[in-house]
Amino acid sequence: MKTLCVSLLLAICGTGVSAQDVTARLAGRVPLDVAALVQQLATSAAARGLPVDPLIQKAIEGSAKGVPTDRVATALRSLVAQLDVAAAALREAGLAQPDTDAIAAGAFAVNAGLSSRHVTALAVASGPSNSVAATLRVASTLAAMGVPPAQTVELVTQVIEAGGSTTDVLALPTAVMAGVSQGQGRGRGLTPAQAAEGLTRAAAARANAPGQGKPKPGKP
Amino acid sequence: MTMNDFHPQVKQLLDGELTLADLPPELRAQGEEALQLLAAVDREPVTFPGLDARVLAKLRRRPQAPGLWRRLRLRPWTLMPAFAAGATLALLLSRPIPTPATPVTVRFVLFAPDAEQVALAGTFNQWDTAATPLVRSGTPGVWTATLTLPAGQHQYAFVVDGARWVADPGAPAVDDGFGRQNSVLSL
Repeated sequence: MKTLCVSLLLAICGTGVSAQDVTARLAGRVPLDVAALVQQLATSAAARGLPVDPLIQKAIEGSAKGVPTDRVATALRSLVAQLDVAAAALREAGLAQPDTDAIAAGAFAVNAGLSSRHVTALAVASGPSNSVAATLRVASTLAAMGVPPAQTVELVTQVIEAGGSTTDVLALPTAVMAGVSQGQGRGRGLTPAQAAEGLTRAAAARANAPGQGKPKPGKP
Repeated sequence: MTMNDFHPQVKQLLDGELTLADLPPELRAQGEEALQLLAAVDREPVTFPGLDARVLAKLRRRPQAPGLWRRLRLRPWTLMPAFAAGATLALLLSRPIPTPATPVTVRFVLFAPDAEQVALAGTFNQWDTAATPLVRSGTPGVWTATLTLPAGQHQYAFVVDGARWVADPGAPAVDDGFGRQNSVLSL
C-alpha cells in the first residue's frame, strides 16, 4: 500500500502540475464544469504517468475559441486516449517509464496521423543519443505538412542512421519546405512526399557511405 | 533566382515601396515569385550559430585585474569559497550547450487586407487572443508579429477581428479537436 501511495505521489509530482496548479491555471479561463472535468481527468492521467499540461491547454483553447462545453469534453477525452496510446507505444519501444514530454509529443504525433506502431519505431530509432520527444515532434510536423506517415518514419530513421544529431532531425521540416517552395513560382515545386523522398535517398546514401553512419546491429 | 537577379522594381516591391499593382505587367510574375520566396524566408527561425560558444570563449579569455593578489592578504582557508565557486564555474562551462533548447525568434505573417485587427493565439500565450497583436507591415494587407519562443512544438492560429480563427496558410496544420485546424510550429 505504501509503495502504491509513493508511486502515485511520484507520478503526480513528476508531471510538474499539482491539483492546485490545475485549478489556478483554469480559474477564470474556462467554465466551472470544464474545470471540474479537467481536474478529474488530470488526476487520473497523472496517476498513470501521463502529462497534464496538454489537457489544461486544450481546455483553455476550447474556451478561447468559444467551443460548447460538451465538445470540449469530447476533445479532452480524445486527448487522454491519445496520451495513453503514446505512452503504451513508448513502453513498447523499451522505455519503461517514458517522460511526460515524450508522451505529449507522441500523442501529438498520433493526432497528426501517425499510428502507435510509427511512434514505437521512431522511439527505437531515436536511440540513446537523440531526444525521443524532439524526434516525435519533427515526425508529427512532417506528417502535418503532408508527408505520408510511413515515409515520415523512414526519413527520420534514415537521417538518424546516417549519424544525424537531434539538430539535424529538427532541420527536416525546413528542408522539406525548401524542397516544396523551390521552383514553385515556375510550376516545378515538389510535393511534400517527393521532397521527403529526395531527403531519404540522400540520407541513405550518407548512411551507406564507407565510414559513415551508425553501426547497425547484426550488420558486418 | 537569387536576390541579385531580381529587377530593381521587384526589389522595391520587397522593400514595401511598391505594390504588385504598381509593377508593369511583365514584371508581375517575377514580383509574385519574390513575395513567395520572402514569405518562406520570413518563417525561417533566426538563429546565431556558435554565438554561445564565442561568448563563453571570450569570457574565459578575460584578463584578471592586475595586482589583485598583492592587494589582498589571503589565508589558505579564505580561498575555499573561491575554489568552490571556481569548480562550479568550471563545471558549468564544461557542460555541453544544448542547442535545441535555445529560444528562437520567429516572424509570423498573415495577408488579411480586409482585417481591422489581427492577433496570434496559441500554446505559447495560453490561447490569449489579446496577448499578441500583429501590426500592419509596409506592404498593404500584410500583418506581422515577431516572437521569441522556446524550443519545442507550438500550436497556434490567427484571430482576425477578435472572432475569426484562421490557420496560418504557410504552415502545416492539424485537427484541433473542435472541427477546425491549428497551425504547427516545431522549433
